[in-house]
Amino acid sequence: MFNVNEDEILKQLSDAVQNYDEEAAAKAAKTAVDAKINPVKAIEEGLAVGLRTIGDKFETGELWLPHLVMGAEAMEAAIKVLEAHMPKEDLERTIRGTVVIGTVEGDIHDLGLRIVASMLRANGFKVYELGCNTPSLVFIDKAKEVNADIIAASSLMTTTMPFMKDLIEALEHAGLRDKYKVLVGGGPVSKEWATAIGADGYGKDAADAVNVAKELVAK
Amino acid sequence: MTGPSLWEVLDRACNTGNVMAAKDFDMKIFKTVSRLVAEYDIKYDSNTPVSSDDSLVDDVWNAGLQLFTEVGSYCINSNRVILFDESEIKEGLKELPGEATIGEGKEKRHVTLREADDGKPLSIIVGGVIESNIPEGELFIKLYQSLAKEPLIDGFYVGPPLQSSEGKMVRSGTPLETHLGPKMAYWVREALRREGRPGLHFASACTAAIANVAASDPDGLRRSDGIVATIMPELKTDYENLNKIVYSQDYGCVKHIYNGGMIGGWAGGPEGALVVAIANAIMAVMVYKIGAGESYNALGYLRQSIPNYSAFVTRPCLWGSSIGSQALSRNTKIVNTTIAMTNSGPGTEMQLQEIVSAICASIPCGREGLSEGVRRFKVKPLLGSGLENRFWGEVGVAMSKMKRGFANMLADEMLKKYEYKITRESDGGPMGHTFDEIYDLKTLTPRKRFLEVYSGVKKELEDLGLEF
Repeated sequence: MFNVNEDEILKQLSDAVQNYDEEAAAKAAKTAVDAKINPVKAIEEGLAVGLRTIGDKFETGELWLPHLVMGAEAMEAAIKVLEAHMPKEDLERTIRGTVVIGTVEGDIHDLGLRIVASMLRANGFKVYELGCNTPSLVFIDKAKEVNADIIAASSLMTTTMPFMKDLIEALEHAGLRDKYKVLVGGGPVSKEWATAIGADGYGKDAADAVNVAKELVAK
Repeated sequence: MTGPSLWEVLDRACNTGNVMAAKDFDMKIFKTVSRLVAEYDIKYDSNTPVSSDDSLVDDVWNAGLQLFTEVGSYCINSNRVILFDESEIKEGLKELPGEATIGEGKEKRHVTLREADDGKPLSIIVGGVIESNIPEGELFIKLYQSLAKEPLIDGFYVGPPLQSSEGKMVRSGTPLETHLGPKMAYWVREALRREGRPGLHFASACTAAIANVAASDPDGLRRSDGIVATIMPELKTDYENLNKIVYSQDYGCVKHIYNGGMIGGWAGGPEGALVVAIANAIMAVMVYKIGAGESYNALGYLRQSIPNYSAFVTRPCLWGSSIGSQALSRNTKIVNTTIAMTNSGPGTEMQLQEIVSAICASIPCGREGLSEGVRRFKVKPLLGSGLENRFWGEVGVAMSKMKRGFANMLADEMLKKYEYKITRESDGGPMGHTFDEIYDLKTLTPRKRFLEVYSGVKKELEDLGLEF
């Protein structure tokens, strides 16, 4: 009977995310706490399942960027309730990795960045978005501040791609190159460019970026 | 009564518009668009790449107008919303002259409006090579000579970017781009002089406004030439683009504004992106003041950010572009032209088929002409030549005589030939060939094997009923 109830609550958590309903997500999280469901399980087998479902539907063209954003917001609302009832270390164990992401200096395109950030969230990453036109040192400062695993940089113009190279050089000069994995992508960016500038990974598109990010944190 | 002046618009953008977080503006667009798509019952039809549904066209126009009236435009630098009331938008639309003049001397062209199923010849064919990382100097000149050699071409889009300036890597918005702006314009003029067409129009697409300002000169960017400004997804502008608009108006050169709606972004699916594409066009009228001075534009089309590619010629993009073309033609006097960005590169059958699709969804749907040529989105150096520009112009002329029903059949035939090739594994399609592969650089003529590809596709089109 307990298992049926637990399954039902996990479904409520997943459904709340898929319905983009912050209030319902927070309420389901409270129910999970009252039922003494392990908060890690509530996140991994409830909330994350819902967000992954949205991500899968985004991949197939059934849902769009705003759905990813709204689903992630509902999940955040539930996690706020759960985190008061779980050790910080347990919460961190539910996170696949931490990513600092932005569009490089001089580049004002942010749509692709938002899509990749949302897809990373849907796949269990904690993501810090720096927006567009982000100088290299801002990427690095944020990565230090949040103890990131990955710095992800996007460019939509060939004339801003060189700023990706700057980012890697700045990491080298700061003696931090080995501390963070660098993932690059964006319209004109190619695998060859990523290799040439010494990036650790290249994402051809949002789904590919997620797969590469998973590989990078597994190393 | 007139619409708000550019100075009033800038006051709203810089000083007086309500401050709002960008993410709140984005979500407001999504919620408003979702509501309007439902209210107007707009539905994507994958079986009809080129629509002839006038009622749907008018619904889309009304939805786009309502969206812009409710949401307005957003300035990224100031975080301010630029709003207009209904009467201001009505007056702004009335100010559109419905014509434009570009070029000088023998190369002067006067652009006039067309309608869907018009049958009237195109009044402008602007080609170009878009964002293909071209070396500075002689090879750049030769590339644009290859375009100027094409008699159908009335002008072309130039840059960005070049690989280097004075041998140094160019970064967007840096002083090396400021130096490159005039150099690029002088090289274009040199290409035109060599081909005996000194007055031919070009549109400068340097990313930094100051690079265009620096290029303004009788030997560089003339008043008969243009400056390109863009609308960012969705309904957004910034000071760099507004600087280009202010300067174009003060200098008195041609404005060229482009952007459509993005499938997969804040607008949602094809239906929402189409409504946004119309709102973007109204933004060009109200914020970029395309009714003041000369302008030709590329508006009311769709782009696709997902599943994997940024292309303009997928099936849902064509559906939306065909309706967007008609909505703007039926309801405004915007001088509107066709833009095509292809998945595949030059010298391939697929790129030529993609060009045909783009033209099917635009010219029989009431656009005035062609602009901005074609590009392969994934960039390798020197992807572009006069040959695909020749094809671009010839198909445009041929399609100007055709009606929407034929265009629908032809676009469907083209899609069947290439859409299965747009895969993640292929990176969207074949990369294509570089200018120096396609052309003999001594004679500046296309090589035989590429002429055969071009002739082969033309023959297929003739077999399908298109007359050249």
